[in-house]
Amino acid sequence: MKLLKLSRRAMLAAGAATALALSTLSAQAQTPQDVLIVGQIAEPKALDPAAVTAVNDFRILMNVYDGLVRYKDGTLEVEPSLATSWDISEDGTVYTFALQDGVTFHDGSTFNADAVKFNFDRMLDENHPYHDTGPFPLSFFFSAIDSVEVVDDLTVRFTLNAPYAPFLSNLAYPTGLMVSPAAVEQHGAEFGRNPSGTGAFKFVEWRSNEAVVIEANASYWDGAPELQAVVFRPITDANTRTAEMLAGGIDLMVEVPPVSLSQFQGATYTLHEQAGPHVWFLILNAKEGPFADVRVRQAANYAINKEAIVNDVLEGTAAVAAGPTPPAFAWAYNDSLEPYPYDPDKARELIAEAGAEGAELTFFVTEGGSGMLDPVAMGTAMQADLSAVGFDVKIETYEWNTFLGEVNPGLEGKADMAQMAWMTNDPDTLPFLALRTAAWPDQGGFNSGYYSNPKVDELLEAARAATDQAERARLYQEMQVIVQEDAPWVFVANWKQNAVTSDRVENFSLQPSFFLLLDDVVKN
Amino acid sequence: MTGYILKRLVSAIPVLFGISGIVFVIMAMIPGDPATAILGSYATPENVEKLNRDLGLDKPMVQRYFIWLGNMLQGDFGRSFSLNRPVLDEVFDRFGATLILAGTAFVLCSIFGVAAGVISAARQYGLADKVITFTVLLGISIPSFFLGMMMILLFAVKLRWFPVSGMWPVYGARDLSTLISHLILPALVLAVVATGVIARLSRSAMLEVLRQDFIRTARAKGVHERSVIWRHALRAAMVSIIPVLGVQAGFVLSGAVYIEMVFQWPGVGRMLVDAILKRDILLVQGGVVFVAACYVMFNIAVDVAQGLLDPRIKT
Repeated sequence: MKLLKLSRRAMLAAGAATALALSTLSAQAQTPQDVLIVGQIAEPKALDPAAVTAVNDFRILMNVYDGLVRYKDGTLEVEPSLATSWDISEDGTVYTFALQDGVTFHDGSTFNADAVKFNFDRMLDENHPYHDTGPFPLSFFFSAIDSVEVVDDLTVRFTLNAPYAPFLSNLAYPTGLMVSPAAVEQHGAEFGRNPSGTGAFKFVEWRSNEAVVIEANASYWDGAPELQAVVFRPITDANTRTAEMLAGGIDLMVEVPPVSLSQFQGATYTLHEQAGPHVWFLILNAKEGPFADVRVRQAANYAINKEAIVNDVLEGTAAVAAGPTPPAFAWAYNDSLEPYPYDPDKARELIAEAGAEGAELTFFVTEGGSGMLDPVAMGTAMQADLSAVGFDVKIETYEWNTFLGEVNPGLEGKADMAQMAWMTNDPDTLPFLALRTAAWPDQGGFNSGYYSNPKVDELLEAARAATDQAERARLYQEMQVIVQEDAPWVFVANWKQNAVTSDRVENFSLQPSFFLLLDDVVKN
Repeated sequence: MTGYILKRLVSAIPVLFGISGIVFVIMAMIPGDPATAILGSYATPENVEKLNRDLGLDKPMVQRYFIWLGNMLQGDFGRSFSLNRPVLDEVFDRFGATLILAGTAFVLCSIFGVAAGVISAARQYGLADKVITFTVLLGISIPSFFLGMMMILLFAVKLRWFPVSGMWPVYGARDLSTLISHLILPALVLAVVATGVIARLSRSAMLEVLRQDFIRTARAKGVHERSVIWRHALRAAMVSIIPVLGVQAGFVLSGAVYIEMVFQWPGVGRMLVDAILKRDILLVQGGVVFVAACYVMFNIAVDVAQGLLDPRIKT
């Protein structure tokens, strides 16, 4: 009896303590006004734009730094930013930029032509005194640059080793954002944790795995932002991120998992969607096996029910892809292209014509990775569709890094098909790196399925050398028609990036570039 | 005693060398290299080779191991390339958070576990024993990540008593009360399984002691029953309970990995998971060696404590 009394007393005490604790905690406070809390998908690597590669990091960087040029709101077309205008030489190898006057970095130093030269030399010149603040994994975006010259304080000239049309859009990419030379000199290898740019927000603090805090740059050259501060929280677990959004712990959530979308219906939340320069495809091994025959490759395109995949597996978070170039590159996209319809009978016919009935296929699937959406579920659906037209598909699943290590060196001798997805910033990038004959893996490219068509090679080379956008557009559109017909890939989906904001957030919109631009956002 | 402690410390050295070797070999053998992880879709053989050279990964494996080991013996664990900061800074930051979480959970499971075990033993086959046994088995059987998600949905999303995740408020004051409000859910969930195990084993340890002669003597000479149980019997049973607590401390520490993922606690477990996915070799190696060293030290401390309680063990 004594014992029970004791435990009762203990329980009573514990209960009282809990009640007390709860009453002092009260309900969790709402997030403060004018401070936007963003739920990110991972901890950033560094806030040095030259040193990072992930969209997750870019989402922060684009608010702290500016580049010479940027993408016009809602498009992937280049407009002036820190450079007010530019001039391209007749042969497309010399770019001369006029720079904004009177812009300063957050640390107080002046932005000028010397700063521009410093930025590119740091990345590209192995003998530069601050080259050791790298490595700079995406510096090959600018490998076309031969030299950067300071003409005068506000004029800078780039000389390229060959005409390279994507140069301007690469400058608009985060790798081309301008960092403060003074801050790099001061912090050296620690610059990535002590960033200083010219952007709408200034860096305040970075608490590892908790938050990156930036606050408004009142003297921003393009008009001070509406928000007082932005806090980026890394929440790696998608379920927890959803729970935080539902509980009001964050105001803006990116990359909502398709299964959670239904939770955000209703007036308290706004769901944003934006198609981006993303394409999800299956690489087909055109060198050996059944897919060496173009009819079998086309059959695979007919056999897979892409509508069902984007609507049922991806819950409408993607659209069916028609060809190798995503529609987000509006100026270079060929509108007349229709996706391969879902037509299993046509597929069986083509397979019979090619004599490939009942062929065994090895299919590389990844567990997940950058831009891969829901690869296992998608892979399983594709396996079922291909079985329905008589293929015997064997799936091999790999963790993402291992998967890239298997696929990038080429599929020869290993597989007939592999999943892949790319997000790029220029219509040149993906086809140039993954569809040309000169981009076969043994030549350092990503054409892992060994597709080759001299006409496509010629069009892509010409488009890269052309400086006139209308001319480039014509070449890309012709390329898309041929590639769709040749079917080196199964064209599956174009991902629509999504985000959810609470009803306190206004003036927010997603960009096709997948960057997060917050300088006009208001929070009530 | 000093000799015993010294002997145990010396015996820890080969263990730590062994761990450093194993974790190095595992990281070297798992497919996918850091350069591929960093470059993602842009991992051309050429880019990978250049980046590996920049990262110092082009040297032979044995040479890399000894460079790493040599630097580590001088206190330099290298730089994490996925976080771009010294490994040791990151590990210290994160280990502190894990200690707060695991330490709280350990205190909770020790107190509740031992108390529940003692009460069950004292009331063997009684109602209290049955209720406790049922609850404990339920607690052991629910996967902690699932329990964590359910607790978040109920207490953070529906009732809004506690924050969903994290360790501190993202913006504003950071004091003890805000820490506690973030700590309660993850610490409770983390403590559940260990509480169950400790309760079960404390119960059997107590039952064994309660059958012994000195207990009968104590009761016979009229010692208060509460005193018999909590003073005489529990002290004797502690000798077998303490090693259980030691093992559970290890479980709580390793179980923290799941809890840290679910509650986004900025601890060392989540750090290691992220580091492995990003193939951040030095961070994984440094983190594992550091955690292993702590684990070894903790075991030595438990052994020493047991030696102090029971002089027969000292050898």
